[in-house]
Amino acid sequence: MDDQLYVIGVGGTGMRCLESFVHLCAIGMLDGKEINVLTLDTDANNGNLKRVKDLITSYRRIKSGTVNDGGTPNRNTFFSSKLNYYHYHTNYMKQGKRDNYRNLSNLSGQSSVEDENQMLADLFLDKDTVQVFDLKHGYRAQTHLGSQLMFHGLVEAAKKLAKGTNITDEEKSLGEFIDKLEQSGKNSRVFVFGSVFGGTGASSIPVLPSALKEAIKIKNEGSNLDISDVKFGSTLLTSYFDFNRPNSTQKENSKESVIASATFFPLNSQAALQFYQGDPTVQSVYNKLYHIGWPLPAKKLDDSKKTETITGGADQKNKCHFVELIAACAALDFFTASSVETTGTAKYVFRTGQYENGAFNFSASDLVGVEQNKDQKLISKLGGFLSLAHISLSKNHAGFGEKGFLGLKRHLENQNIDSFKTSITEADLDELDKYMRSFGYSFTDDGAFKSGWIYQIRNSIAPGKFIFTNEAFAMSIKELKGLDVGKLFEDPNYHWESALTLSGRDTYQPWLKRLVNIEVNTEEHQLTHDKEKFIALLHDGIMISQQQQN
Amino acid sequence: MNNYILLPIIGLGVLLVAALISNMIKYEGGANPKDPRKRKIVFWLFFVLNPLIAYSVGLAMSPDAGIAKTQHMQSLPVGLGIGVAVYFLLGFAMSKAMKTSKVGNWF
Repeated sequence: MDDQLYVIGVGGTGMRCLESFVHLCAIGMLDGKEINVLTLDTDANNGNLKRVKDLITSYRRIKSGTVNDGGTPNRNTFFSSKLNYYHYHTNYMKQGKRDNYRNLSNLSGQSSVEDENQMLADLFLDKDTVQVFDLKHGYRAQTHLGSQLMFHGLVEAAKKLAKGTNITDEEKSLGEFIDKLEQSGKNSRVFVFGSVFGGTGASSIPVLPSALKEAIKIKNEGSNLDISDVKFGSTLLTSYFDFNRPNSTQKENSKESVIASATFFPLNSQAALQFYQGDPTVQSVYNKLYHIGWPLPAKKLDDSKKTETITGGADQKNKCHFVELIAACAALDFFTASSVETTGTAKYVFRTGQYENGAFNFSASDLVGVEQNKDQKLISKLGGFLSLAHISLSKNHAGFGEKGFLGLKRHLENQNIDSFKTSITEADLDELDKYMRSFGYSFTDDGAFKSGWIYQIRNSIAPGKFIFTNEAFAMSIKELKGLDVGKLFEDPNYHWESALTLSGRDTYQPWLKRLVNIEVNTEEHQLTHDKEKFIALLHDGIMISQQQQN
Repeated sequence: MNNYILLPIIGLGVLLVAALISNMIKYEGGANPKDPRKRKIVFWLFFVLNPLIAYSVGLAMSPDAGIAKTQHMQSLPVGLGIGVAVYFLLGFAMSKAMKTSKVGNWF
């Protein structure tokens, strides 16, 4: 029996790694898989959380048939994985009751036990700063506090679920996630995305397996799940980005007395790695730990022109970075390995890339290895999806605000491919365009270019190279409209067949012509409705075009 | 070769050139592409050019003098008419027979 797959994205960095993972699913790297995704954060309004939530919602809508259930897993097409989405965030909003550690722990000194607990808390947590800062934007790199509170948050939710009264949406969602985990038991693989240098991820990674075990035991009394039977993997993602330092106004505000500073991230990373190497609990619960770092000076990722630290909330919406794609590929490795060693000691793995003239040049094999031709699959699938994105955004102008896939569908109808005429609505196609804008690019109302995921990933390693030519990442409207969608690769072996036109050779024309003659094999692709069939048609056209050469 | 054969052959040749150029016009994307209109323009442009080209060829092929020249010049308009009809009717038939191809945009 295949293992059931679970992904947990924790904190801001975890969300961005999850974003890359969702795109890996969209391009078809996890064919035929059903993946249960849990977003776990302290900050319900976090911009990174909202972005990945919107992305997963869009993905599920694209895959859904008449019922919005996220569809079914398919084979050998785009959007071939099914994603089930769950979410939980701790609640630190109630002013005076739950907004800081002191109020939340409520150690009022009414008994000798509480006195001792207060002394213990004072020993580890500074009572004038750490115990009183506002928790609504997370743990602010105070991992000793965060681990305790995240454990508490999950256990508290489990107790409420067991009681069955006043259950919030996020508690219900968490309950569904842990029920599923309990059911699949030892046939589960759980991968955790998070950083080790920040706040929420760094706090949660060490305690998540035991917190989940405790939560299951409390919620489902009598559960005999042995959490050591569940296979756990995680990223050990060390510091790779920078952001504004706190200004003097922020430092003087007692509620903001603790603010994460990027200055300390390398030190935090070092301390965290020492912990992960030596801690016997982590060693015994995690099967595989993927050490991912970035040796170059950290890039500033906050878009904001503000001169203060953004501690969280809707403004925390950092740009994507290549290490997040590497982290997503780590999850891919964990999920697609034929077996996961359960020796009782964690295995540490890493990868390297070619570094030349001050920049990294990555090949696909640097990310996914060469076993089972995964590197060629990544080039083909990622390149194919980028081609499709450009077909929608650049050729059919979805990037400039028009309806790209609608234009493509109308063209197919003119070629007598009208089986999708009534079964795929304009709203369905708009959702595909929306996803492509998140993946590729768009233009704002005032004409400014806005990079999507893959542009941001590539910009984070520029001037280094990764699979594609510079032309594949054009940014002016003129270049985008003239872009040749079948010639995006550095390796000409993946270039599409081209035809002569009045304005030179072009690969889009033969691709359009090819679509007319493709018979989509519903059984082979495991398709269940016309939206999936439409996507499979476009996918097959692209894959065949990659194999045909001039 | 007399005008009743030559000029229709020219009409056919011009039609083939129009078809070739129409095929080389790229499919454009978006919800309101302009390429079908461009192909229509190509068809009608060559519809106008066809008699001009045919007439020029007819004049060039005319005998120098005498009855042959008179007969040649008298048959020129008829040949032109046949050539124009060949262009239009064959073009219409091609457009309808190959509706999903690029020449399908002519009508």
